[in-house]
Amino acid sequence: MSDSTPHSSHIPAEGPAVGQDEWVARHGERRLLRGGRLGKLEERLRVVPWWVWLILFVAAFSLLPVVESSGYVRRVAFDTVLYMLLALGLNIVVGWGGLLDLGYVALYGVGAYTYAFLASDQFGVHLPTLLAVPITVIIGALVGLLLGLPSRRLTGDYLAIVTLFFLQLFQTLMTNGDSVFGHDLTGGPNGILNIDPFHIFGHDLAVQHGGVFAVSYFYLALAVFAVVYVALRFVNLSRTGRAWRSLREDPLAAEAMGMPVNWLKLMSFSFGAGVAALTGTLFSALNASVFPLTFYFILLIVVYTMVILGGSGSQSGVVLGALIIGPLLELLRDPGKARILFYAALVGGVVFGFRRSRTLGIVSGATIAFGFVMHAAASAHDAAWVAGDKASGFGGAMAHWVVVPAHLASWVQPTTYVGLIGLALLLTLVDRRVRIVLLVPTLYLAAFVWENVMLANPEPMRYIVLGVILVSLMILRPNGLLGERRVEIV
Amino acid sequence: MDTFIQLTIDALTLGSVYALIALGYTLVYGVLKLLNFAHGDVFMVGSFIGFGVLQLLGGTSNPIVPIWALLVLVTLAAMAGCAVLGVVIERFAYRPLRNAPRIAPLISALGVSFFLANSMQLLFGAQPRNYDTFSLANGALYLHGIDIGQVRVPLLRIITIVAAFVMMVMLWYLVNKTRTGKAMRATSFDLEAAAMMGIDIDKVIVFTFVLGSALAGAAGVMFGLRVPTNVSIGFVAGLKGFTAAVIGGIGSIPGAMAGGLILGFAEAYTQGYISTKWSDLVVFLILIAFMIFRPQGLLGRADIHKV
Amino acid sequence: MKKLIGLALAVLVASVAAATASAGSQVAASSQAVSCNGTLKIALVTPLTGGAGFLGEQQGSWAKYAVKTLAKPLGLKIQLVLGDTPVEQGAAVAQTLAQKYVGDPRVLGVIGPATSGSAVASTKTYQQAGIVQISPSATRTTLTKAAPTLEGTPSFFRVVPGDYIQGPTDAHYMIDKLKAKKVVIIDFQEPYSTGLADAAQSVLKAAGVSVTRLSAPNTTTDYSAYVTKVPSDADIVFFPTQKPGDAQTFAQQLIEQGKKAKVFGSDGSNDSTAFKVPGSYVSNFAPDITAIAADKSVIAGWKKDNPGKPVGSFGPPAYGAVQVMLNAIKKACVVDHGVIKQKRDVLRQMKKVRINNWILGGSFRFSTKSNDPLNAKFYIFQIQSNGSYKLVG
Repeated sequence: MSDSTPHSSHIPAEGPAVGQDEWVARHGERRLLRGGRLGKLEERLRVVPWWVWLILFVAAFSLLPVVESSGYVRRVAFDTVLYMLLALGLNIVVGWGGLLDLGYVALYGVGAYTYAFLASDQFGVHLPTLLAVPITVIIGALVGLLLGLPSRRLTGDYLAIVTLFFLQLFQTLMTNGDSVFGHDLTGGPNGILNIDPFHIFGHDLAVQHGGVFAVSYFYLALAVFAVVYVALRFVNLSRTGRAWRSLREDPLAAEAMGMPVNWLKLMSFSFGAGVAALTGTLFSALNASVFPLTFYFILLIVVYTMVILGGSGSQSGVVLGALIIGPLLELLRDPGKARILFYAALVGGVVFGFRRSRTLGIVSGATIAFGFVMHAAASAHDAAWVAGDKASGFGGAMAHWVVVPAHLASWVQPTTYVGLIGLALLLTLVDRRVRIVLLVPTLYLAAFVWENVMLANPEPMRYIVLGVILVSLMILRPNGLLGERRVEIV
Repeated sequence: MDTFIQLTIDALTLGSVYALIALGYTLVYGVLKLLNFAHGDVFMVGSFIGFGVLQLLGGTSNPIVPIWALLVLVTLAAMAGCAVLGVVIERFAYRPLRNAPRIAPLISALGVSFFLANSMQLLFGAQPRNYDTFSLANGALYLHGIDIGQVRVPLLRIITIVAAFVMMVMLWYLVNKTRTGKAMRATSFDLEAAAMMGIDIDKVIVFTFVLGSALAGAAGVMFGLRVPTNVSIGFVAGLKGFTAAVIGGIGSIPGAMAGGLILGFAEAYTQGYISTKWSDLVVFLILIAFMIFRPQGLLGRADIHKV
Repeated sequence: MKKLIGLALAVLVASVAAATASAGSQVAASSQAVSCNGTLKIALVTPLTGGAGFLGEQQGSWAKYAVKTLAKPLGLKIQLVLGDTPVEQGAAVAQTLAQKYVGDPRVLGVIGPATSGSAVASTKTYQQAGIVQISPSATRTTLTKAAPTLEGTPSFFRVVPGDYIQGPTDAHYMIDKLKAKKVVIIDFQEPYSTGLADAAQSVLKAAGVSVTRLSAPNTTTDYSAYVTKVPSDADIVFFPTQKPGDAQTFAQQLIEQGKKAKVFGSDGSNDSTAFKVPGSYVSNFAPDITAIAADKSVIAGWKKDNPGKPVGSFGPPAYGAVQVMLNAIKKACVVDHGVIKQKRDVLRQMKKVRINNWILGGSFRFSTKSNDPLNAKFYIFQIQSNGSYKLVG
């Protein structure tokens, strides 16, 4: 079929410039590019400089509020921009520094709370925005530095534990901070309210008009994102960025080459924390309130999924990851949209998995036929067994294929769910022919479980989807969508 | 003095549960050098399995078997169920990543933890489940017990502490006096060398997960017997089990036991004598102190990197 | 040089985009008219997942039942949309959901937000859009009363009385009827319990009762050490938890350790299937609804739809909230001749709603002075030896 062997890119016409180290200059050539059609596509896209991509992206994204006047869409877009910023920051620590920082969202919280301290009635301090934000970023970076201090002596797993505990520590401190020796420092579980909005050039950036989310905040966030992206890109291209890369690949060799490994680690923590703190100020000012529980485990997993999905180490990758996961989480809230997404994913997965071979036709045909057979059998047995879904449109149409009973006995949900998991796992164990045969009932069971179990309870379902994405990513494609495929020298 | 005795009993009960969870962490870490974040959620599933089996056997108000049989059956069921769960997790979430960089199985573990907790919520809802042990024989387990001074130690706590102790002794025996245990110890010392000596690494790892998860299941039942359980307890329980394992020295079995007890005592005494609000904080500070001054924990070995 | 160009371009594009922002249309969805013949929506905003998911589950099942049984007799077609505000995710979710409902022209009202934190965070958004909120469970005093500052808005209503009634009611009962001299108060570091605990504590202290205040992290499951800290001569432990199972366990452990103190729970612990240790007390905003004759058919119908589930104490207020909402919508439809022009029209009808056979007993209307129920009071129950709740105050 297509050429799938890796190959390196072209040698530049001029060669390295005077004063520039040749090894360093030819660094780009030694990257293994993806083989096949994707590789050729990537090569062609690579001709376009990154900043053109960025401008196009920002321009396209900024047209969104013009096209869509719904406050909800704007709000989700804003949240997604915040996620993109968070992903960029986490990328510094995990992707560039190679340090598993599980306390990252606590630094987000530090930023949010510090801004709240500096610009609300909590302490009666109302610093102007142009002072409050930089101070918060600096404080955040310092706290990140503090968090990084144990990293000097600890290896990967221990660092993970310590940072996880920092997360818990932050949570405990913020929740209990409302009675430290009789003083209310952090507002406790009730949080801090009535935080000042951003005040720029004499205008209070209005948070909303008539209850609808105001675009000014969205554009501000987008502008911040653009600036941070550009700044980080320059950092990555600088000496520090190269040093981080070598640190990530082999810390021991890096140290042997005389790099200040500890300092580099601290720097990556610090930078990541700074970005997180900046995002925290945006969050705090917009929501005008801040509560401790936001900055906890769930958010951590969400941001991690974004970074891993996009490809840790790749800036554009993590932004892409955030762009996918952020709206996905919102879309999955609505059963109608979730249903569409599911079937799209199912069809896409089958097509991608079998790719224009005969098997694709066999499997799809068999599954569809199987479905109708089951549906007919079920309705023949008892009409109530297929009377469940009264949704119109797509849902109603699918209800002719999937069995959706009117009433489910309580044992059906756990049994089919566990059964589906068991079947799916079994599929990975058997050989090819058996797998194709088994795939048909598995796909149908998946549709059944989705309609009857998952859609009934969209909230945990969203997180289950995230968990599955995370685990499968690590097993199937740990470098994510745009991450570099790392060559491990044995 | 009474308060002291009471708090000590509390500490021992808490500590036994923490020790069992910590043992699961330590066993897996010793063999795979992996922190199994999903362990806390296995503990949670264990408490739910126990609840389910309890209801099958008639519940605490109308048990169809004698009390001791009820307790034993519920515990065994939870242990078996969790062992299966642990093996499945290992086989599908960790084994494919055995040769991947260390970060990979850790993140996979995070994903599994998230998946487990939310799946349980999807299937069983967020309502807490109460074993209602008090109804067993009209509160016999609560009202009868041994008297130490003015303090009565109820049967339930004695059973918990003794059962945990027995399990730990059995584990110690298994690990130190049997061939499989020897294989486990060899693997945790040096995985490649053990493989070269002809030990079936996969089997050893599966066995380790069986042991660790079964202990978590038992801990889940002991937990559920005393307080209501719900789907969200996994994260915090896992965190505390971690702490215990790390304080005692991760990779060391007696260390995990010691760490669990220390954690139990630290929590109980802090809550009792200092302040209930800040007990979490004190525990973390202890942990951080350990991490800074003695990262290998009390009984662990200092890590020597081979260059 | 390249760097400067890059940065400059980035900022330029962003500012150009920002300049076009003001040109963008901002059609406030609140001004679109909706016909009462079509499907109208009300949103339920409550924690459906996470640690407080039991709250949302109960409210959800009762709200669904209310919509199913009450909409048709009023001649309305109502769809209930669910919004999940897990307590773990804080208030940002509440605000995102608020945006969602503000932008949906068919959403005429919100049942909730269920938690005080979400209410505080999102009520200003709803107020600006004119969307009424009726909460069945957010009892924070400052949502309807300025004490010291008002955190609510005129669009926020509730069908249960606030902490400023429950806390002192319980405290006065302890002082007057139970003659308590020593009380232990425990809070769980979240808005519900801390509000109640503070309210009760100030009344108790003013009456000269010796108060010990303990604070437990929200994730606490094992209260043994707290039980140990209860003095052996304490009379009452005020335990305003939202998890009845915890109240049960605490009371059992008090017995286990031979302490004479009795547990006094709040409306969150009101569940006769989960909290039934004899001798304990529970306060609630309604008498036992299973004992109210007029509710029998409602309860039976609900039980048919939800087999095996206990009635619970969080659900019925949600039913009541839906009832009030539907009545207000109906009134607005009548006043507006079948086409509701603004969401605010529903809000304007709230104070005119009168309901007889209120699910929580008696009849219902809002007070003229605040957005709380008129003559709201709390009832105190004592748990009898057979586990049933007896009204004592």
